[in-house]
Amino acid sequence: MKKVYAKEELCLNCHLCEVFCKTAHSLSKDVIKANKYEQPAPAARVKVYGDNKLSVAVNCRHCEEPKCVKACITGAMTKDKKTGIVSVNEEKCIGCMTCLAVCPFGCIQTGKFAVKCDLCRGEDEPACVKNCPNRALVYTDLGGAEV
Amino acid sequence: MKYIIIGASAAGLACAEQIRKEDAAGSITVMTGEHYLPYSRPTISYYLKGALKPSDMYLRKPSYYAANGIEILTDTPAREINRENKTVKAGRKSYAYDKLCICTGSKPFIPPMKHVEGKANAYTFLDFAGAKILKQKATPNTKAVIIGAGLIGMKAAEGLSKICQSVDVVELAPRILPSILDEASAKKVQKYIEEKGHIHFHLGDTVKEAKSKDKRITSLILNSGKELPCDMLVLAVGVRPETQLAEQAGIETDRGILTDPATMRTSDSDIYAAGDCTVSVDMLDGSKKILALYPNAVYQGTAAGSQMAGGNILVSGTYAVNAIDFYGLRICTCGLINAQGPQYTDKTAQHGDRYKRLIFENNRLVGFVLINAGENAGIYTSLIENRTDLAEIQTDIFDTPSLFMFEKAQRQKRLKGESV
Repeated sequence: MKKVYAKEELCLNCHLCEVFCKTAHSLSKDVIKANKYEQPAPAARVKVYGDNKLSVAVNCRHCEEPKCVKACITGAMTKDKKTGIVSVNEEKCIGCMTCLAVCPFGCIQTGKFAVKCDLCRGEDEPACVKNCPNRALVYTDLGGAEV
Repeated sequence: MKYIIIGASAAGLACAEQIRKEDAAGSITVMTGEHYLPYSRPTISYYLKGALKPSDMYLRKPSYYAANGIEILTDTPAREINRENKTVKAGRKSYAYDKLCICTGSKPFIPPMKHVEGKANAYTFLDFAGAKILKQKATPNTKAVIIGAGLIGMKAAEGLSKICQSVDVVELAPRILPSILDEASAKKVQKYIEEKGHIHFHLGDTVKEAKSKDKRITSLILNSGKELPCDMLVLAVGVRPETQLAEQAGIETDRGILTDPATMRTSDSDIYAAGDCTVSVDMLDGSKKILALYPNAVYQGTAAGSQMAGGNILVSGTYAVNAIDFYGLRICTCGLINAQGPQYTDKTAQHGDRYKRLIFENNRLVGFVLINAGENAGIYTSLIENRTDLAEIQTDIFDTPSLFMFEKAQRQKRLKGESV
């Protein structure tokens, strides 16, 4: 499946991926409103770690055998058989964060519900990749080894 | 191939799904004494407090089972396993199996208390049916008393506190949530819950006897001499593995059903067991214990299902991991929380309402307690599971964990999504 891969040697620590992830997952879909005014504030599902010397944007690996899906106590976290996307059903999620406690990559954020990357649900290119100014994020089905 | 699974909760469902993944043709029958299709047991407290609709408690859509060739027999409690004929008796029928998995879960443990047994207003809180009764009976004027401040008791207390004005919790241990919290963190959590939930705790105390009228409990006398008015008693002292069927069939048990810890096979080579009914071997200290936790049940059920279908998935690592919230306070724990011995050390960092306690065995992380400080906790969990030497860690272990904890090659591996 197509996944987002991060290249730390190209990351500028600019956090624009977070800004546009928030926008894509906001009600208004407006970059200013989403990042400054909207309440409840939309959450970024990609997160930049590190500093200006070395940084990288981390988001869900959409694992083949996702630990978060196995550990989910409500059946809210599922991996789509066709697309391979791992996502949360917010109606069923109780926000217990067992998924977060088992994700070895640190890709789930705390919120009222588990907050995580949904690959912008079928968009041609996820918002983080589209708006990365230095192509430090790549969207490909070649696998991580080829990036 | 005919597969039968007894029990339709976390382990039973995981087992059925794994069998189907590896054997497209075999017949899979899951029998449960409950009236409902597989639902999430831990969500009964969310149902009680009104945070979840009953229809959102089900683990899969009703149409899922037929589509995947998994037959679920509800209202069908298994009564007997006949190992010679390889049949399971349930209701009036007998079902033949080639491979069987016992996923009977837990039963409530009810300590002897004078004049409590058989009273109309004494309840347990373990399944959907039990939760429905509590929800139906509880009113704002109900004086609810819960015995037991473990995970189940505290979740019952939280749920009832949203309905009833008076909720008391009696616990024999000197602290709440003794299985997941140490003394210092338990005190903090207790204070928070007292303020948010107006729950009254009676710790280091227990019920000596009940006073009742017309078969209904009216008050409870505690060991300390206190008397608590009571018109709803919830017994949540603890759970024990449900092993009756296995024992009657002569399968080896010792508190729980004994299995090979990797394959989940019991002393009968065609019978497997998974979930709360089994004895687990904690990979972190090699001790045998009952790990009645959801992820553990799923991992075991998956391995059992694979082995039954001739596959090769094993239980990889068994340890406690738990995440739970009370009135918005998030508690995440893993590993050996109450480790005793000279090889263990621990360190605590506190900041406002954040609390982080890490437990070490020499140069390895073996446990954590995180209160409102659970960011990326799964990275800590992976350090525990992989027995990572902390000398390899690039950042302060008390910093929010991130992939920068690992040196470049390890970090790259994770960024590429290779399994770790």
